[in-house]
Amino acid sequence: MSPEALERELDQLHAAAFGWALACCGGDRAAAEDALQASYLKVLDGRARFDGRASFRTWLFAVVRNTAAELRRRAALRRLLPLAVLGATPDGQPDPATVLARADGTRRLAAALATLPRRQREVLHLVFYQDLTIAEAAEVAGVSLGTARTHYERGKAALRKLLKAEPE
Amino acid sequence: MTERTDHDLGEQFHALRREDAAALAAARAWHATAPRRRVLGLAAAAIVVAGVALALLLARRDRRGVPIDLAAVRWKAPTDFLLALPGEELMRTVPKLVTIDSDWRTP
Repeated sequence: MSPEALERELDQLHAAAFGWALACCGGDRAAAEDALQASYLKVLDGRARFDGRASFRTWLFAVVRNTAAELRRRAALRRLLPLAVLGATPDGQPDPATVLARADGTRRLAAALATLPRRQREVLHLVFYQDLTIAEAAEVAGVSLGTARTHYERGKAALRKLLKAEPE
Repeated sequence: MTERTDHDLGEQFHALRREDAAALAAARAWHATAPRRRVLGLAAAAIVVAGVALALLLARRDRRGVPIDLAAVRWKAPTDFLLALPGEELMRTVPKLVTIDSDWRTP
């Protein structure tokens, strides 16, 4: 894929990729921006190479997911160091500004999603938010189709229960 | 793929997506104005640097106008006294011999 075509694809998928990065970073906007930027750098400088086996979107989402996980691990390590007090490190929690900007319904959904296990949250996001099939979600999450289906069903049931339990 | 019965969940997720897209559009609008702000900032910085350079140049030119006579400059180290030797003044002057007019032999 030529650099121009790559940039065009990234531009088209930017909004969706940002939503996915937000989901991977637990709603932390700053962490999502970092993860997305690091992912774009990986794609543009060739550290992540698209081989055409999956769709470009599925592949990009997998890159974003892996990058967010790397950044999360690094942030966790930094929090353990004594110097962590000098600079705020993303803690994987939704930042207050993002929470405030949400409408009541979506705020409840985001809060309920935050309580789900990561895999379930990811699969639900990919299927409902990104309109991917469960097979594509499995590809992005790096799990088998059966596992993805299980996460999807369990996550959906848990989410319904949480939303029903939440007061209107 | 989502089922028909999951329509309500899908709607809620799509509302979440619309909010994220709106937030992203706002961020893009801000970024669009950023290059203009950067240019203005750079121009202001260039004016400040040029002003400082001009002031330094003028200050140096003024200083060049005052002649300094190096021959007139005398510098004395504060530890010079350590080099002073006792009786040193005798070495720096020519001794003056006293002439005796009267004959010492005559009483």
